This record gives sequence, structure tokens and C-alpha cells, in this order.
Amino acid sequence: MFICLENVNFTYNLHMPFETKALKDISLNINEGEFIGLIGHTGCGKTTLIQHFNGLLEPTSGKVYVEGLDINERGVNLRLIRQKVGLVFQYPENQLFEETIFQEVAFGPKKLSLSEDKIEKRVREALKMVDLDYNLYAERSPFSLSGGEMRRVALASILSIRPKMLVLDEPTANLDPQGRNKILSEMKAIHDNFGITVILVSHNMEIIAEIVDRLLVMHRGEIILDGPPREIFEKYADDLIKVGLGLPQVTRCMHELRAKGKEIYTGVLTVEDAEKEILDRVRKSNKQLKIKKG
Amino acid sequence: MKILRNISFGQYIPRESLIHNLDPRIKILSCLAIIISLFLITEFLGYLILGTIIMIGIIISQVHPKFVFRGLRPILFIIIFTLIIHLFMTEGEILYRLGFLKITKEGLIRGLFISCRLFILILTTSLLTLSTSPISLTDGIERLLSFFKFIGMPAHEIAMMMTIALRFIPTLLEETEKIMKAQISRGADFESGNIFNRTKNLIPILIPLFVSAFRRADELAIAMEAKCYRGGEGRTHFRQLKIRMVDILTFVLIGVITVMASVMF
Ligand SMILES: Nc1ncnc2c1ncn2[C@@H]1O[C@H](COP(=O)(O)OP(=O)(O)OP(=O)(O)O)[C@@H](O)[C@H]1O
Ligand SMILES: [Mg+2]
Repeated sequence: MFICLENVNFTYNLHMPFETKALKDISLNINEGEFIGLIGHTGCGKTTLIQHFNGLLEPTSGKVYVEGLDINERGVNLRLIRQKVGLVFQYPENQLFEETIFQEVAFGPKKLSLSEDKIEKRVREALKMVDLDYNLYAERSPFSLSGGEMRRVALASILSIRPKMLVLDEPTANLDPQGRNKILSEMKAIHDNFGITVILVSHNMEIIAEIVDRLLVMHRGEIILDGPPREIFEKYADDLIKVGLGLPQVTRCMHELRAKGKEIYTGVLTVEDAEKEILDRVRKSNKQLKIKKG
Repeated sequence: MKILRNISFGQYIPRESLIHNLDPRIKILSCLAIIISLFLITEFLGYLILGTIIMIGIIISQVHPKFVFRGLRPILFIIIFTLIIHLFMTEGEILYRLGFLKITKEGLIRGLFISCRLFILILTTSLLTLSTSPISLTDGIERLLSFFKFIGMPAHEIAMMMTIALRFIPTLLEETEKIMKAQISRGADFESGNIFNRTKNLIPILIPLFVSAFRRADELAIAMEAKCYRGGEGRTHFRQLKIRMVDILTFVLIGVITVMASVMF
């Protein structure tokens, strides 16, 4: 088990007039190599939750274990934890500050006191992971980039620490569809090629349902659903709609067909799957018709 | 991260109370009167009277004393520091000797006196900011300053600058916290190292903070122009300030008490 949360509660401004209970009794296990989507309505506590993974927030009650270690115990080296769990905040481009992209990406490795060669190797590697050409970009100023490129530089600056797990808060916010797909496919590639555990945080079902293996659905500080996306769409579509998240368009389409009395599997995620499913059904019923006629 | 959370001095706590509903001008002037008499009074008895007024004010305002006294926490150090300085640095009748240090009776009295002064000063201003929303506070200041318009005091501009500054303090604090967290996640370390290193470590916070502050300023300026803002000339107020009977009575009461206290003690 890589990360394990036990009955975690968190309250902002504890004992103050504007107290907000942001997390309620959350228990959660995350294994190495998983590709997870964390989804929930705005203000449901997603950002609050992920900040517990690397000790930026300490639970009001409950325990957080990273690789079996209680990270909020005294004497735990949180810097080591933060090397393992790389957190990328929303709009990470707002944290850039160095003169060149090379220095920006080298910031983390430098703090690890690596040798010059190793730092350069890591920068090359990280920039490659986010599909930026080292020779073209390394010496440019990060402030001269487009929003999408800036975001990828910020991502690279976390990847260069070589975390075992990558948590991304709304990585696709404010990007056009092209930039969005690029980031998502890069995340997928990072997960598949390097075996990094990835958690994508979003409030948009369309974006992440297709690519993740496991979906965590949050509502008002609680995790209400946890499982593979297909299963959740098939069995708990009503719950999703009730908490205002809705389904991806294709899935909704299948549910409508089901509601019209068609025998159809509703746990589909992509247009291709839906097409296949519908054609299969049509063929089957044609066959049945023939048998009856015959 | 805890540091940023504890700044509560100057936080407004909305309630429906007599004090909250007083005209901000009256509140500001009353506070001024109390502060001026704080510096005129030379005996403890005078402070007792002022302290009692403030306590009564806190009770009427329905703000939990916890919040009022929390405002004291940051300056507790200053109070203790002045107390110690006075204890040891005043010449006079020696009460206690500790090596080359000596505590004198005069020092003790003087130290306690100054501490009381600081204490009441902070309580007074806390009560003012806790019971007055920043908007009506700057409204009040604008009106008070406009008495000085004839000598060229840009009352509206000052008030507008204060409003904007007050408005953006929490935003910038939030922003700072966000940036700190992001940089910590990237491997930055703000807690260890010597002074020089620590100062250098601030760069990853300060640059993004300035970038975003300038962007915000730019956006705000554009938004204000888009709303046809063009200064205070001829501008009317949505919330009209009106002096009522309660306000006059409060002001007279505070005025009489502070003047008497200043004269007698
Ligand atoms: N610094 C803070 N101080 C006080 N309350 C906060 C703070 N940050 C968040 N909250 C509150 O905690 C709750 C959860 O916030 P959080 O930022 O975790 O939501 P989220 O799921 O990330 O939302 P979004 O999708 O908008 O990013 C919200 O009700 C929010 O108002
Ligand atoms: Mg969030």
C-alpha cells in the first residue's frame, strides 16, 4: 500500500467563527501503480484531501500513512515524503520564478544536492516527459511561454524530483481542448512508461473518466463512490446525477437508451465502445428476429 | 504554514449590536478620544476608568472576548519587552538585586503603567476593527478626512487606497500560502538554514507573488475603468451615513468621560 488514510477529518479555521468542515471521516487506500481520478463538485474538498498526501495539511483527527509511515508523527522527514509524493497545484504556471526553463526544472534536483551532470540529466528527462524539446526551450525564459507550455514546464519541475506518485490538481483547467488532450495523454504515458502512480483531480467527468482505472467520487467532504469508472457509471449513475456531477455524454446516451427499454450495457466510456455495444445489440436482436421468423 | 493563519488582528466579526450599528465616524472619533486621553492620564485610576469603558464596550458588542484578546497575542511580546526594559532600566528605590541588574520600585510602577497603556490601546483598536466592517471604516475615514479637503487633502483617494489595501490583504495572504505550498512540494525548504539562506529561499515566493500582485492591480484598474470610475468628484454613496441620537449620546458620553479622566488623573 502506498498511501493509506484512516478516518481523516479536517476542519479549516478550527475553533473560529468561520469554521469549515472540509473532510469527513475519509478512509482510503492507494496502491503503487494505480491511475486514479478524483472527482467532485467545486468546494467538495478535493484540494484539501490531496494536501494531506504529502503533509502540507495535518488532519484534525485521523492518520495518514505513506509507505506505512505515519507522516504526521514527530521527527518524520517531510521533505523525503514530498520527494515521493509530487503535488502539482492548480495553475502551477503561477509558481514559476527562475530566469530560464532549465533553472526552473532544475530547482527541485538542486535542492537534493545532486551533481551538475545528474541535474542536467534529470532536466532533459523531465522536459522530454512533457514533450518539450530541450534544445529549443532550456534557455528560454519561462515567462515567454504560452499558458499551456508554462503548465508543462511547471509539471516538469515536479517530475524532475522523480516522485513515485504524481498528484495533479485540475491539470487541464483553462486549457483549450488540444492543450487538454496533450496534458492528459502525457500523464497517461508517464503512468504507463514509468510506473508512476497518478491521481488526476477534476470536477469534469468527461475529461478523466476515459483514461483512469479507478474513480473516487467526493461529495461534501466525503468519498461516496470508489471503483472502476465502468462499474460506477453502470451501477451508480443515479448517485452521480444526484450530486450534480452527471455522466459523460456517451454514457448518458446509453442510459437514455436503457430508459427507453433497450437491453443495453451502460458502463461505456468512449464513443467507440458505445458504437460497438449498440451494433452488437442490433445484430443480436436481428438474429433473434430471424430465428423467430424462421 | 501556521503563521499566516494566526493573523486575526483587524478581522471584522459581524453581529447585530449597538456598537456595530454606531456610525463609523463616531466610533473612530471615540477611539481617538480614548487614545488621546490614554497618553494624557498619569495615574492608574484613569486607566481603570478607560479599561472599564472598553470592557463594557466589548460586552455590548457581543463579540466573544476570545477574539478581542486574540488580537493581543502578537503584541504580547512587545508588552513584555517594554515591561522588562522599564523594570531594569529605571533608577530609584531598589526592590531586588540580581547580579548587576536591579529592579526598582519606580521601574515596576512605570513598566506596569506602560503595559496597561499598550494593553488598552490594542483593546480599543481591536474593538473598533472587530465591530466595524472595513467598508464602513474607510467610509468613516473618508468623511472625517473630507473636513480637511480645503487644505488639499485627497480624502477620497486615501480612502480608496485604504479600501483596496484592506481588501487585498487576505487575498495576498492566501496567495502567499498557496505559492509556499507549491514551492514546498517542489522541494523548497523554508524552515531550516541560516538567515542568509532563508532570505534567499524567499525568492521563489516573492517573485510569483509580485507577478500575481501586478497582474491583479492591472486587472483591477481595467475593471474600475470599465465601470467608469473617475475619482471621488460628485460620487454618491450607496450607504448613506447618518448621525442618530444614539451616536450623539455615545459620543458625548465618551467625550465627557475621557476629558474628565484626562483632567483629573
Ligand atoms: N484556506 C481555507 N480556509 C478556509 N476554508 C477553506 C480554505 N480552503 C478551502 N476551504 C473550504 O473548504 C472546502 C473545500 O475546499 P477545497 O479547496 O478542498 O475544494 P475543491 O474540491 O478543491 O474545490 P474546487 O473544485 O473548486 O477546487 C470549501 O468549502 C472551501 O470553502
Ligand atoms: Mg481545488
